[in-house]
Amino acid sequence: MIKRSLILNKIILIGLACTISVSCSRNASDDNKLILTEAPGNIQLPDYSSGVSWRNLPGARISSIDVQRPGSHKTLTGDFYSACFPEISYDGKFILFAGQQKENDPWQIWEMNLKTLKYRQVTSGPEECTDPVYLPGERIVFSRLTINDTVKSAQCLYTCNGDGSDLRQITFSPDDNLATTVLKDGRLLTVKQQLFPVQGGPMLAVMRPDGTKADKFYTGPGNSILLSRAHETDDGRIVFVESDSENQTKGRLVSISYNRPLHTRTDLSAGISGDFYNVLPLRPDKYLVSYRMFDSDRFALYEFNPEKRSLGQSVFNDPDYHILDIVRVKPYERPKKLPSEVDMQVKTGLLLCQDINFKDPFFPDNSAAIRKAVKIEVLGVDTTYGVVDVEKDGSFQLKVMADKPFRIRTLDKDGNVISGPCSWLWIRPNERRGCIGCHENPELAPENIVSLAIKKSPVIIPVHITDVKEKIVELE
Amino acid sequence: MGRFVKIIIPAAILVILGVVIHKPYHRWAREHVNNLTATTDHPLKCASCHLYIQKSGIISKIVNAKYYSPFNLAVSPDGNYLYVIAEEGNALLVVNTERNRVIKEIEVGVHPHSVVLSRDGKTAYVSNQWSDNVSVIDLEKYVVTDTFGTGGGPAGLALGADGNSLYSANSFSSDLSIIDLTSGAERKRLFTGNNPTGVEISPEGNTVMVTSRRTLGLPYGDSLKCELTVVNDKRQRIAERMDIKQAYMMENIAFTPSGDLAIIPLIRPKNNVPTIQIERGWMMTNGIAIVEQKPGGRTIQLLLDEPNAYYADPFDIAITPDGKKAFVSHAGVDLISVIDLDALRKLISESDERMLAAYSNYLGTSSKIVLKRISTGANPKGMALSPDGKKLYVAEHLDDRIAIISTESLETIGKIPLGGPARITVARQGRRLLNNAGHTFQSQYSCYTCHPDTHEDGLVYNMASKDMGRNMTNTQSLRNIGDTPPYKWNGKNQSIYKQDGMRFSTVLTRNEAFSYKELDAISAYIMSGVPNPPNLLYNPKGELTEAQKRGKEIFERTHDNKGFEIPVINRCVTCHPAPYFTNKKMADVGTLAASDDSILFDTPHLNNIIFSPPYLHDGRAATLEEIWTIYGKTEQHGALNDLNKIELNELVEYLKSLRDEKYEPKVSKTLSASFRHKQ
Repeated sequence: MIKRSLILNKIILIGLACTISVSCSRNASDDNKLILTEAPGNIQLPDYSSGVSWRNLPGARISSIDVQRPGSHKTLTGDFYSACFPEISYDGKFILFAGQQKENDPWQIWEMNLKTLKYRQVTSGPEECTDPVYLPGERIVFSRLTINDTVKSAQCLYTCNGDGSDLRQITFSPDDNLATTVLKDGRLLTVKQQLFPVQGGPMLAVMRPDGTKADKFYTGPGNSILLSRAHETDDGRIVFVESDSENQTKGRLVSISYNRPLHTRTDLSAGISGDFYNVLPLRPDKYLVSYRMFDSDRFALYEFNPEKRSLGQSVFNDPDYHILDIVRVKPYERPKKLPSEVDMQVKTGLLLCQDINFKDPFFPDNSAAIRKAVKIEVLGVDTTYGVVDVEKDGSFQLKVMADKPFRIRTLDKDGNVISGPCSWLWIRPNERRGCIGCHENPELAPENIVSLAIKKSPVIIPVHITDVKEKIVELE
Repeated sequence: MGRFVKIIIPAAILVILGVVIHKPYHRWAREHVNNLTATTDHPLKCASCHLYIQKSGIISKIVNAKYYSPFNLAVSPDGNYLYVIAEEGNALLVVNTERNRVIKEIEVGVHPHSVVLSRDGKTAYVSNQWSDNVSVIDLEKYVVTDTFGTGGGPAGLALGADGNSLYSANSFSSDLSIIDLTSGAERKRLFTGNNPTGVEISPEGNTVMVTSRRTLGLPYGDSLKCELTVVNDKRQRIAERMDIKQAYMMENIAFTPSGDLAIIPLIRPKNNVPTIQIERGWMMTNGIAIVEQKPGGRTIQLLLDEPNAYYADPFDIAITPDGKKAFVSHAGVDLISVIDLDALRKLISESDERMLAAYSNYLGTSSKIVLKRISTGANPKGMALSPDGKKLYVAEHLDDRIAIISTESLETIGKIPLGGPARITVARQGRRLLNNAGHTFQSQYSCYTCHPDTHEDGLVYNMASKDMGRNMTNTQSLRNIGDTPPYKWNGKNQSIYKQDGMRFSTVLTRNEAFSYKELDAISAYIMSGVPNPPNLLYNPKGELTEAQKRGKEIFERTHDNKGFEIPVINRCVTCHPAPYFTNKKMADVGTLAASDDSILFDTPHLNNIIFSPPYLHDGRAATLEEIWTIYGKTEQHGALNDLNKIELNELVEYLKSLRDEKYEPKVSKTLSASFRHKQ
């Protein structure tokens, strides 16, 4: 009886071992099937200082590979002059990518069925469209070159249905927005760079998929430049490649915490010489990176252990091509589908500021030297929208024409500028936003007060407009 | 025969419904569901509405289950036993910590809240929140040996330094009972803050501190204040009333072993700020208050949240015997925060007053003081440390389990199942959803946050549904609302399905909407009846006092004091008929403010109304009296202007007595059992 029981136990253990083994090999297998962007090795070196890294690559191709199966490499975009920025669908069955069928074609967004390898065009038109990403809920988001009076010439974010219909612009400032990622919380994380009136350094900005609640997420140290799309890991990190603060031609592998992105920067590649171009987190202890040791090398695919902060073995390389974008062919959890407060029948949005004279308490208090602001000026791209008196408590409430970029600067009683202007803002139709002050610490929650400004009707911006006839929306 | 009928009739109804939803009646069913849910694609599942919301009867017994719901706990002095409060089981469970299993279940009063042990560990005192008493339990014989009366809703308990006094924080009557343990008599009752629940004595035994959950009644827009009541243990008198500013829901308190600090979990709500965004902590923040126990000691508030992650509904706190670590349970996110107390002391000692003031809103602090966040089961509530401080026991309230966490490795090292039903019913799933903040953006708050105990938090919010600064909204209770649609003060939601549907996610949770399965579950929980407590304070046995009887006559009168007939619309009972004391209709009671849209207001239900201040749609009336003395000068809210002061008081006394129908003596079996203890 005991013997039979032991045999039974052995069978169970063997079964368990087999199950674990199959499970592990399946996980490993999932890690092996990749989609890559490969760019010819002889293309001109990127202009990192522009902050946009390598966009619009000539002669690039998207390929698939099982890194454990030699000879499995297959070019998926042979019909294209150039293709890049692949992004996998949540079910792992499709990719979006940007492509040019002919050399002088504008870049457009395409979708490919990975089983049949059939593809279809999603966007069309003369404008360059790149960096597509799937959104939860049958829509996609991408960057599109936009030229008009308000954004000048900038890569704005747009969303559309999966078939390209119902195109909607969601960013409205003279800033480039590229290399978008959808965070697990449903928001977009994009590499943003101010273009007008002066060029700023790139930062990671965050917003809801309808363009509301746009905000700073991360800025790098010194003169560093963001070089790659950011990726969110399963253990609460955001990883990306950022140039060295001193040497902008060298890409470093950087990690920040989702929970506290502004103060948790870690250079995972500290002590590793060479140049990183891109990263794909697979597990907490394993990333794949696009890396090269010397400038004369081609970027190739390597393993990277973020816990030990060590570069692992080369996984795949091609002497004639740089390996740039890396995508895993595997279903993954759909991010949250956030609701939208935007109503396109409304012409305005609201902005509440609690106190324009708010000072960051964690900076040295030199209040004696600072004059008190009593007014704000709202600036458009090439114009002023007017000067507004703020309330005694420093608060103001603006009803702003929606989807128009503006900046705010503070003035003293004589109209002299005290501070600002701030970076570009826009309010979506029917959006309501709030800020603590003009120089708020982004890690401060608001004081629980009734601002004087909300006891009055909001001031309409531009100030020469005295009334706005529009649909009244009751959200609740 | 009766049982046969009870089975046959529901079965026949089900068969008929099954036939009905088949074509050609499918369209009718679709329209019916669309109307209730305000959507066009809610699945046609008859069971969602017609089975899972049953409050009583055989169907209710089949689809629902009785859980223990562990709430608070204590550890024996030798560490061999855990004593666990089973909130829904109305019992004290005795757990052997070597075998990790329940060895005894001792029946106590209704809705027990806390347990505290005598110094020798031979006696347990259990506060019965819905019985207004404390059960005295002999832990050698496992029997209830006595029952001590308390104020209304006894919650937190603490022993006095002499070991012969028991402090009971009475959550409903907002006072502190001091009970002589020799005689069992209530020696004294001291007024506390609003809705006190936590009580703790300092290590040196001089000071007893009592925390409150609700704020002191102040007009909308004033700075919130929540009272921390300090009692001198020797004199048993109030030593100080401290205002903890801009905070509430101070559920519990703990002292460090050296006695240098008292630490209180709390929530910092943003009800005065328009609800225009969640990002950057614009709705709720969660943290702790630190009260320095030295002359001139400061009171500091630190947030446990982070800029993109919030830790909703902090509940209990436990501090290791070496004073190095504090554990805070976050009931809304199923996590325990581990605080490095040396880092905390260093932070506050190195900060000037300006910085300390700023910390109360600073989301960057927690990364300096929080060592780790430890996952738990559903809705972690009370915690207790083993005597050696090496194990932390956590009551997983909605999982019917106790988690065991190593305070050294900070890992979960075991779970103790308490023996509740293994299956999770639809209503239970709904209760978990209501208590979990995962459905708000970045888990900033749960439904429970504004509706603690499925009631309301006593705050008025600027919901900013149209413009900022308009339409202030007094939070309403969720208890027993299943039968009293419509919902919201403006009555725009005809069902719970609509109330918690898409617009709810757009304005309130600002996160992905509930799935239909989740919506069915949360509706089932709310609609199957979350009862009010029994209102023992003002109507303990269903027999009205003489003043209440006179008030009832006024409430139901048809003629005024001069003999004139009161128009039907101006009689109290017209709009407030039993059993819920609402006619479920909209009304204009003359309370429209300049900041309100021109609307009628939903007639609120009145059971246990005395426990729901402030009053009226925007909370302008701090007391029931003020509804008429200050805000009812016309006759729109009842023809009462002929009443003298005494008569108005009598009407108010009657209103205070209103309670759920289920507590009428003939149907109150469970309560009568608890009254036996009292006798």
